[in-house]
Amino acid sequence: MSVKQLQEQCARVPFFRFLDFSILEAEENGILASMVQSDRHIGNPVIGAFHGGITASFMEGIASVLVSRNLDIKHPKPINLTIDYMRPALAGTLYARAAISRSGRRMASLETYAWQDNESKPVAKGRFHFLLV
Amino acid sequence: MAETNQNDDQAARLEKIASAWNSRALGLITELDLQIEKPELSGVVLRMPFNPNFCVDEEGSMLHGGILTALLDSAFGLANFLAIEDVQTMATIDLRVEYLRPAQSRADVMVFAECYRHTRHVAFNSGRVWFDTPDQPEVARGFAAFSIIRGEGGMMDKMNTKGPGG
Repeated sequence: MSVKQLQEQCARVPFFRFLDFSILEAEENGILASMVQSDRHIGNPVIGAFHGGITASFMEGIASVLVSRNLDIKHPKPINLTIDYMRPALAGTLYARAAISRSGRRMASLETYAWQDNESKPVAKGRFHFLLV
Repeated sequence: MAETNQNDDQAARLEKIASAWNSRALGLITELDLQIEKPELSGVVLRMPFNPNFCVDEEGSMLHGGILTALLDSAFGLANFLAIEDVQTMATIDLRVEYLRPAQSRADVMVFAECYRHTRHVAFNSGRVWFDTPDQPEVARGFAAFSIIRGEGGMMDKMNTKGPGG
């Protein structure tokens, strides 16, 4: 599925429109996306940082898009997630990559990370499990 | 008598934090339209009205899990401000969320969050999310750890002077 088709698919999900992220690259085992900060993304108004829950939702969103595309599952069911927050995500653009670490018949495990200026300095990392049955 | 004064002071402090929280001028908390039902040292209960923008489908039949994660993260932050006297600022260290069943309802979403232990530098949180229906189905459970920076002139005071009329 092309980047354009994935983006159209995302546009049909109200919560993804609320987050307003863009798919930039869709490779065989990975997705790269970006999200430009709006007021509604802010968690700490004093420093203008992204809300931790928004960063988590962005990573969960692209993880589910990847599961959906690679494993041909229309609605992957999220089981749980763990997020490590490493740096504040400040005003500007947040980028994130998702990759499948393992997928079987019943479950898939994914890893994601998000960054701003420097991909080697992530602001957050996430691990997600999805039920495929 | 002294105890009564202390209780009054505590109530005034909780009220002040709750009011600063409610008057946040911009950001996700405003979008979520969160209402504080119970601000107490032992934990907070917040209510989030149903919002079709947070759904996975155009029909608005099911909330996206991500919004529940955001709700828990917000509620943990507030629970820490209430439970710890001199928080200047805080940062989430990590967050874990278990999605217990599909969030399939248009009822208000309720969240309980508590700071069940805090040390000088770290706060430990747990919370639950359920729908405000008669059987109150639990849809998510969350855990988090926060790094706490203590000091004067905390985030809540700064926010109070930033918002409209603040």
